[in-house]
Amino acid sequence: MGSFCSRQKPYNEADAEENEQAEEIERRIARETKAEQHIHKLLLLGESGKSTIFKQIKLLFQTGFDEAELGSYTSVIHANVYQTIKILFDGAKELAQNESDSSKYVVSCENKDVGEKLSDIGSRLDYPYLTKEIADEIKTLWNDAAIQEAYSRGNILQVPDCAQYFMENLERLSETDYVPTKEDVLYARVRTTGVVEIQFSPVGESRKSGEVYRLYDVGGQRNERRKWIHLFEGVRAVIFCAAISEYDQMLFEDEMKNRMMETKELFDWVLKQACFEKTSFMLFLNKFDIFEKKVQKVPLNVCEWFRDYQPMASGKQEVEHAYEFVKKKFEGLYFQSTKPERVDRVFKIYRTTALDQKLVKKTFKLVDETLRRRNLIEAGLL
Amino acid sequence: MPQYRQPPPPPPWALEGGGQVLDVETAVKDGILGATAGGGALAGAAGEKLELKKMIDELDPLDDIPAVFICPISLDPMTDPVTLCTGQTYERGNILKWLSMGHLTCPTTMQELWDDTVTPNRTLLQLIHAWFSQRYLRAKKRAEDVQGRAAEVVDTLRKAKGQARVQALKELHQLVTAHPSTRKTAAESGGIGLVSSLLGPFTSHAVGSEAIGILVNLDLCSDSKANLMQPAKVSLVVDMLNEGTIETRINCTKFIEMLMEEKDFGSENVSSFSLLVGLLKLVKDKRHPNGISAGLGLLRMICSHKQVRSLIVSVGAVSQLVELLPHLNPDSLEATLQILDDLSLIPEGQKALKDCQQTIPNAVRILVRVSETCTQHALSILWAVCSLAPEECAPLAVEMGLAARLLLIMQSGCDPTVKQRSAELLKICSVNYSESHFISKCKLTRTIQ
Repeated sequence: MGSFCSRQKPYNEADAEENEQAEEIERRIARETKAEQHIHKLLLLGESGKSTIFKQIKLLFQTGFDEAELGSYTSVIHANVYQTIKILFDGAKELAQNESDSSKYVVSCENKDVGEKLSDIGSRLDYPYLTKEIADEIKTLWNDAAIQEAYSRGNILQVPDCAQYFMENLERLSETDYVPTKEDVLYARVRTTGVVEIQFSPVGESRKSGEVYRLYDVGGQRNERRKWIHLFEGVRAVIFCAAISEYDQMLFEDEMKNRMMETKELFDWVLKQACFEKTSFMLFLNKFDIFEKKVQKVPLNVCEWFRDYQPMASGKQEVEHAYEFVKKKFEGLYFQSTKPERVDRVFKIYRTTALDQKLVKKTFKLVDETLRRRNLIEAGLL
Repeated sequence: MPQYRQPPPPPPWALEGGGQVLDVETAVKDGILGATAGGGALAGAAGEKLELKKMIDELDPLDDIPAVFICPISLDPMTDPVTLCTGQTYERGNILKWLSMGHLTCPTTMQELWDDTVTPNRTLLQLIHAWFSQRYLRAKKRAEDVQGRAAEVVDTLRKAKGQARVQALKELHQLVTAHPSTRKTAAESGGIGLVSSLLGPFTSHAVGSEAIGILVNLDLCSDSKANLMQPAKVSLVVDMLNEGTIETRINCTKFIEMLMEEKDFGSENVSSFSLLVGLLKLVKDKRHPNGISAGLGLLRMICSHKQVRSLIVSVGAVSQLVELLPHLNPDSLEATLQILDDLSLIPEGQKALKDCQQTIPNAVRILVRVSETCTQHALSILWAVCSLAPEECAPLAVEMGLAARLLLIMQSGCDPTVKQRSAELLKICSVNYSESHFISKCKLTRTIQ
């Protein structure tokens, strides 16, 4: 504040000016706090899928990604490609050593050297630009029978979900002037660190502006959660993303731990936090598209939590049956982890496929409706 | 005595062969007699009376019928008015009955009759007929109007999206609620299938609540119900039962009850935490007695399925229902006791009943006070609790006056199995008491109604 240095004022005047400034600051804080009150804060929690939801909201209700932002994902996507093929090649080698029917995991002679080279590239900190030549080599290796076999065992190898999508689009990704599409960006995997937030307003059909939301995505680190979680006390709702397709996969950080069990523990922990006593919980049972396909091949009971599952039909009916089973498990967990006094808070389960923009939009509209109704009920207007 | 051999000629202002001079609306409105459309008074006489009876029956009794149309004897509108020599008019059947009983007076004026013949009052009959016809035609038109409207709305619903869809559903909901005649129309124009198809995992609350409000009013066949039993649809209904207004909650409750009436209804559809928690919230909401009875009705139905009982106990239903007992009306009380009785049949239920402090006091107070069914259930519950932990529970029950009531039951004219159970319970309770001490406990300390 220049006024103190620039002129010598009589004591009283300086004092008065200071008070006035302090008052102005207080008024600004009061205005902002009041404005903040109208902003509904949403916290994204969960093991995986949060960032995709985050990106979808950005695409749906903000201006989306501009050219520069899209361009910034190029290196990420290329990195994903290198990481994926490395995991598959190394994985095939491992399976060839440990599995009884090892021969099917042995990469053919022509591809062995390429595989070694790519595995080497994948372990570096810096990846080269994905040129046509390298892309072709990757494509050939991807089509190798052994690699496909390894891909089918993806659940134990930490193969990311975007593998197939990127492998199928290699030609396009390796163009010299490649700029990622929105869909590419949704598939791109970056491990989130820190907190990211976006503010948005879901626009209604009548183009009236709706409530203002602020969405927070916290990095998926396991360790210091309890240190920062209380900072989110007073959020309107927690959106918990549980990837139901991961019932047969192990954690990246700990290959002995089943991902679904980890999600179960995390959900339980979050529900019991004192800071979320009055918070609404929106449970997104995510990756339904992968779940749909997987559940017909891999039985649910491979996951300890679902060991009492009994299939009853086949085809679409079975998928629905399996989904209802998983849903009931989460419901049971919610009601067991919730003290009777807290049973009043909103708890809803949504089936989502984060990569499908239309579905995310529909789902979010429902979330918005629920939160708005809740406001009206709390204000006694409903 | 004047002898009438044939009905009198038609009034001078009716045209030969029928036809209207004045239209019915204006005639009746102006209080002037108008000939009815297309009816020769002669030929249509008998037919007219039958038609009149039908119209009177079908019309809304709330319409205020002019006093002169009413027979002073029966106070019903007259379908065959006849006049006495005193000039008073009555329904033919009623006055003839009066006369046949030997009375020779005019019932209203009490004058002695100098002539016991009755003269058909054609004038009055035509007036009555015209009045009822007008009302009848108007009501019919209104009914057809709403039916037409209902068909229109269903048609609109086929293509409408977004807000238009919500509006159409709202209107259809209003129509089927207020006008029973539209329900058949809605069903016949494919409304049921259409509305059912709107229910799914992405249905908004606005759409869903109106849709359920509509379906609950319609007559659903087995196929429609089977279609509605899909897990995703039931989930939606359960969600609305938890979040909606009281009307929506009650509608959802009735809806699920409707589905449960099908004989191949699988209990897995209602083995849902959310549903049970939602129903318990509903039955505890003292502001809405309708909700309480609706919720208890469904809960009772669900409880009749054995597989769901342990789930019901696990959501804490037992203590919540026991605490509710003193505040319920007799019907709701019976339903609640039935539920608790069913729950007492499983070990977890038994334990939960024993653990709840209010079980014994509330159950003992109900014995013999309300109805035989309530007594039976309360007895069953007490028996379950006391046989589980006699040393703990029996003294408490006895202190509450159980023994005296059991004796009353045993001495009453009730079912032998009930008497048997009372005797067994009495035995359990008397175990720790000396004979004389126990007998003192059996005395009535307060008058039991």
